Amino acid sequence: MTQQQTATLLWLLLVTLTLGGSLLGETAEPGHTLMLFVVLTMAFKGRVVIDHFMELKTANRTLRRLMHAYFYILPLVTMLSYLFGDLP
Amino acid sequence: MNTVCSAPLPVIDRIPGNKGMWAGILCEMTEFALLFAVYFTARAYFPQEFRTGPLNLNLFAGTLNTLLMISGSYFVISAVIAIRQNRSNVSVRWLFLVLLAACGYMATKYFEFQWNLEHGIRGSSGVFFTVYYYLTFTHMVHVAWGIIGVLWIIVRTRAGAYSPADYEGMESFASYWHATDLVWLIIFPLFYLLR
Repeated sequence: MTQQQTATLLWLLLVTLTLGGSLLGETAEPGHTLMLFVVLTMAFKGRVVIDHFMELKTANRTLRRLMHAYFYILPLVTMLSYLFGDLP
Repeated sequence: MNTVCSAPLPVIDRIPGNKGMWAGILCEMTEFALLFAVYFTARAYFPQEFRTGPLNLNLFAGTLNTLLMISGSYFVISAVIAIRQNRSNVSVRWLFLVLLAACGYMATKYFEFQWNLEHGIRGSSGVFFTVYYYLTFTHMVHVAWGIIGVLWIIVRTRAGAYSPADYEGMESFASYWHATDLVWLIIFPLFYLLR
């Protein structure tokens, strides 16, 4: 598979995830399942863009780690702030 | 992963684009990290406002803008792949698609903000909306810089400034655009989906 074909497939995957996420956001009951889907897709989409579109997968290690960390920390904090809001 | 190109494959440990652009990208990511910290702090203090807030926003506009940002990222990596294959005309066509996606984003934002005003959603409507306007408007400014950037890269590519051996300028712009896309990939679920 050429790099262009891989990029096209990943783009279609990102489009599908976006449309699926919006459909869930519109129809699903709010709760921990929706929150989990939201944070996992946020992390996954970020990783796809960083590794394959930004091409950091085969690039400078420091930049790759920094960008990966961003998409570990943000979804984690999103989850914690959501759960923290549930506390009395 | 195989590539069909006349230039050598990217070297491990290289920096996509140039160091100057990456300094800017890291500043941009830090700026938005601070704004996200404001979001999380506000959410912790006003959980109910953040649960009901997304119901008042235009999900269609948010989704459309996400599709435009993702597509912009795809178009710009396609432009980079094309220039590596020494196909500058194809690269320019991809870059025009980036421009179209960016302008589509701005137009959607304009109509979304108009829709908000018609529905009484202003920055003073509550803490959720204050943070929403602040973050999305800041992001919009970064997209505007991106439009200026892609126009410059189009001019340079048409002038034959990039080749398979030297496309650092185009790749620097591509990295900036991806970073702007990445920020939106966080903004969208936080404001439009998470209830």
